[in-house]
Amino acid sequence: MKKLLNIFICLLPFSLMAQNIDRSKAPTPGKAPLIQVGNPVKFTLPNGLKVFVVKNTKLPRVVASLNFDVDGFKEGDKAGLAEMAGQLAKRGTITKTKEQLDEAVEYLGGSLSTSSTSATASSLKTNFPALFALLSEVVLHPSMNATELEKVRKQTISGIESNKDDADAIAGNVVKKLVYGSGHAFGEIMTIKTVNAVKVEDAKSFINTYWKPNIANLIFVGDIEPSVAKQLAEKYFGAWKTGVVPTQQFEKSSRPAKTYVAIVDRPSSVQSVVTVASPVQLVKGDANDIAGNVMNNILGGGFSGRLFANLREKHGFTYGAYSSLQSNKHVGIFSAEASVRNEKTDSSIQEMLVEINKIRIEQIGEDELSRMKNYLAGGFARSLENPATIANFALNIEKYHLPANYYQQYLTNLAAVTATQVKSVANTLLIPSQMHIVVVGNAKEITKGLEKYGEIKYFDIEGNEIAAPVEKKADASLTIDALLNKTIQAMGGKESIEKIKDVQLIGKVGVMGQSIDVVQKIVQPSSAVMLMSMGGMVISKQAVVDGKYEVSQQGMQAPITDEIKEGLDESTYLVPEMMYVNKGYKLAIVGIEQVDGKDAIDVELTSPSGKKSHRFYDKETYLLVKSTKVEKGPTGPVTQQQYYKNYQKVEGVAFAKEAVMDLGQFKMNLNFENIKVNQGLKLEDLK
Amino acid sequence: MKKQLLFSCLILLLGTTVFSQAIQFEKYVLPNGLKVILHEDHSAPVVAVTALYHVGSKNEDTARTGFAHFFEHLLFEGSENIKRGEFDKYVTNAGGALNANTTQDRTFYFELLPSNQVELGLWLESERMMHAKIEQIGVNTQREVVKEEKRQRMDNRPYGSFLNEVLKRAFKVHPYKWSPIGSMEHLNAAKLEEFIQFYKTYYVPNNCVLSIAGDFDKAALKEKIAAYFGSIPKGTLPINRPSIKEPALGGEVRDIIYDNVQLPGVFQAYRAPKQGGEEYYAFNVLSTILSGGESSRMTKTLVDKKQLAAFAGSSPFFNEDEGLFITLALANMGVKPEVLEQGIDSIVNEVKMNLVGEREFQKVKNQITTELVSSKATMAGIAESLANNEVYFGDANLINTELEKYNKVTREDVLNVARKYLNKDNRVVLYYLPKPKSSSK
Repeated sequence: MKKLLNIFICLLPFSLMAQNIDRSKAPTPGKAPLIQVGNPVKFTLPNGLKVFVVKNTKLPRVVASLNFDVDGFKEGDKAGLAEMAGQLAKRGTITKTKEQLDEAVEYLGGSLSTSSTSATASSLKTNFPALFALLSEVVLHPSMNATELEKVRKQTISGIESNKDDADAIAGNVVKKLVYGSGHAFGEIMTIKTVNAVKVEDAKSFINTYWKPNIANLIFVGDIEPSVAKQLAEKYFGAWKTGVVPTQQFEKSSRPAKTYVAIVDRPSSVQSVVTVASPVQLVKGDANDIAGNVMNNILGGGFSGRLFANLREKHGFTYGAYSSLQSNKHVGIFSAEASVRNEKTDSSIQEMLVEINKIRIEQIGEDELSRMKNYLAGGFARSLENPATIANFALNIEKYHLPANYYQQYLTNLAAVTATQVKSVANTLLIPSQMHIVVVGNAKEITKGLEKYGEIKYFDIEGNEIAAPVEKKADASLTIDALLNKTIQAMGGKESIEKIKDVQLIGKVGVMGQSIDVVQKIVQPSSAVMLMSMGGMVISKQAVVDGKYEVSQQGMQAPITDEIKEGLDESTYLVPEMMYVNKGYKLAIVGIEQVDGKDAIDVELTSPSGKKSHRFYDKETYLLVKSTKVEKGPTGPVTQQQYYKNYQKVEGVAFAKEAVMDLGQFKMNLNFENIKVNQGLKLEDLK
Repeated sequence: MKKQLLFSCLILLLGTTVFSQAIQFEKYVLPNGLKVILHEDHSAPVVAVTALYHVGSKNEDTARTGFAHFFEHLLFEGSENIKRGEFDKYVTNAGGALNANTTQDRTFYFELLPSNQVELGLWLESERMMHAKIEQIGVNTQREVVKEEKRQRMDNRPYGSFLNEVLKRAFKVHPYKWSPIGSMEHLNAAKLEEFIQFYKTYYVPNNCVLSIAGDFDKAALKEKIAAYFGSIPKGTLPINRPSIKEPALGGEVRDIIYDNVQLPGVFQAYRAPKQGGEEYYAFNVLSTILSGGESSRMTKTLVDKKQLAAFAGSSPFFNEDEGLFITLALANMGVKPEVLEQGIDSIVNEVKMNLVGEREFQKVKNQITTELVSSKATMAGIAESLANNEVYFGDANLINTELEKYNKVTREDVLNVARKYLNKDNRVVLYYLPKPKSSSK
């Protein structure tokens, strides 16, 4: 019997297969799911605190978040104050140190976080009342401790430091400042100076002023009865005193009178970060809100937007190109953005403007419109999986005074958007003749051609307008031969140099606290050895003696390649500038660069085997002050920089007594304490 | 007194009821060997359709590394009924999202859809399994994409190469010595025929778990699953499942990597047992002690008190055959990596010397309990967890019993794994140091 049953079960799927499917095309979707956006339970405490409860029992956990309804703070020369005060609030209360507070929260298996305008706590249902008490303690009685502020300051400054080198972060700051204006709260940029100006009293006063129940919304989401939430809110936030919160005054941000190009020069860039942006007047819930969202998504929403299709798929200028449209009570922002290859900077701006113009002029097809509506409706449905979505809905309704059924009606309103509306909203919001075009990139390589979009202006990484960078050019009348002669002269002159038959340099290298002994010997015309040793043990040897090449490290012989041979031969040249021409090196003066604050002539050197390096000669003394070359490292090419200092003459010839090898983290300082020439060294002395 | 006792009993009871909401699911096997796991949940109008293939980089030929991950790309190219480049569009146009990922053990594909589009998910996944397009043009395209991905995720991202660098030093013979991204040279050298062979070997119903969670009618869905997947033939080619045992590391391995990083990083990887055993759960507890949250030992001491590190963390990296336990920290400006490493070592030594205090131990258990509950927050998370548990342990129901495994871990167990595994001769230590800046010209 059992066996029979098994057979029957095995057969079952086959019998079910009788159902017809047509594989040749995508299945038609089922009936649109009924989307229920529940209404939260709402009540207000006597002190003005508005409380919302979104009950969701799927998981036994609860999140409570307190949000202060402020849109931004004018901070001026203390930019960063609000953010730092918000972080400081959770670093201890009047009865608990940071360590005690963290432990108490995590003992409950919970988490607690704060920002300038919010405080949030979440845990499993069982521990939630205890955690909520901690949330209240943090909000009502933060210690705002000065030592902790210093830690926040240190972290904030570290963040600013590391962003200085990040083209996207630079673009973000400059776009913000130009679009909103430096006088606007949204346009302020944190700098090390403004962060250092923040005092602990400022942070205290910030919390005392803005963290008030009469401008706060408290939202509970999760497995909690509204009656329980109410008891908790009353118990822990009932006695919270109201206060007069100053209303924020915002200057009006307006579009630029004419489109212009703002360039932030970043000479090391291989990609330009291009942003086309302007402020927009768009508030959640107004007539253009939903149509604006449809329009923006068609233009540049994700992988299916037109910007992506054009700049990435059609032209391959970039890995991605997107646009965004943010509404705001005071002023919103439109921006289109892409990181593009240097040489495609101009073409990319061109294509971005083409797409912006197209969506204003051509009515979009019904097909494209309905696909976009499906996309947005599906995303809306999926967002409901997260209970916090419902909490956000409640918050938005409160904040923007939306109709209570705004989100219930959202899909209906989305479905009603027409192609004509999309075109009209594009014409209202996107004005191509009044855009900020911000480019962060290598000005020298990308600027040409951009003037056709408008006046070109230059800005520093903090968004301050500066003069156009002046490219220093080397004196055009200086030839390579003349330069080499001047250097040879500076080194002591041909005659003195040729008199030197052998050299011995003895020195020490300091690297990460260790000391290594270095001995370098040269016997003209073509032999040299360099030995490095530590505590008497030879750790590395490089030598060419009488045509025999040897490189060993800790006793291990390295294979000798042509490149290594070339390098070893170079090490025998007392003054390489005397040898280059004869040995078949190619040299070219390529510009002027600052080395330790002084102008130096940048010479590109190409060895007979084709290896490129650079040598920099001081513009006044013509002595070699720096060289750079690119070597293979374990994870790719590594640029080595070497600096030469403290030239001193021995027997009429100049030697750099100090060399600094810069490998980034490592800086090796080589000091020659003892330089002797013409001691009569023989080839045997090099072995 | 009695009252108090009653009160504690009540609390205990409360504590247990919290976790009584088990994840209900049904598991069955189609005649072609396809395992199906269904979890029905109507709380939101969403569904996650997922397919887990039991193939990862460890199944690869040593001369063809990167194949498993390459397939993760190649299988979005289209099928007999899906034109090239259209696979994603079906999903995005439906308002859904899709993606895939590859580990050393398995490859995982998913579509997150509004629930009325569940059949779209079945169609796409069955097309992928039945007759994906493995053509030269797709291979060429995806090769470039994978190279770009490698550049972005490993070469260009600070510390992005660390897993590669750790693995190749931690394993000498086991295929875990390479990471899923594999070798670009191997991918370049591979012929179309080899890709087709790989597809026929591993992308077969009997090497796959189809795990679906969300808002659907189970009876109707089962009919559809049978219709879309039932006629795909069972695979017949032998599947390579390596049984290589990696010998002990036999001494500390140290190295320095120069990378585009701002802050020096210290990475320590200790060899550890494979996933699933009792020691595995003890290691997870240990990891939470070291770096779970602000009050954890590494964060509290290294980041906050001594301010040696901008970030400090630890993570069990456990797989089917072998495991690693990794600690890592990024130095604050001006802090030498040696000093940071001493700081990490003294914390590790502390857990080897002394039992964890009772309150701290309870704290960590509470944190893990919260984490386990939260991992069931999304349909995608549930579907993946069911599939992983089925493939790795033959027990999809582990999603409901995992907490018990953690509850069994004692303070002594934690001390024991720390003493047994966190030893210098059992680890790889890597320093990541900033590359010199290229001169600006």
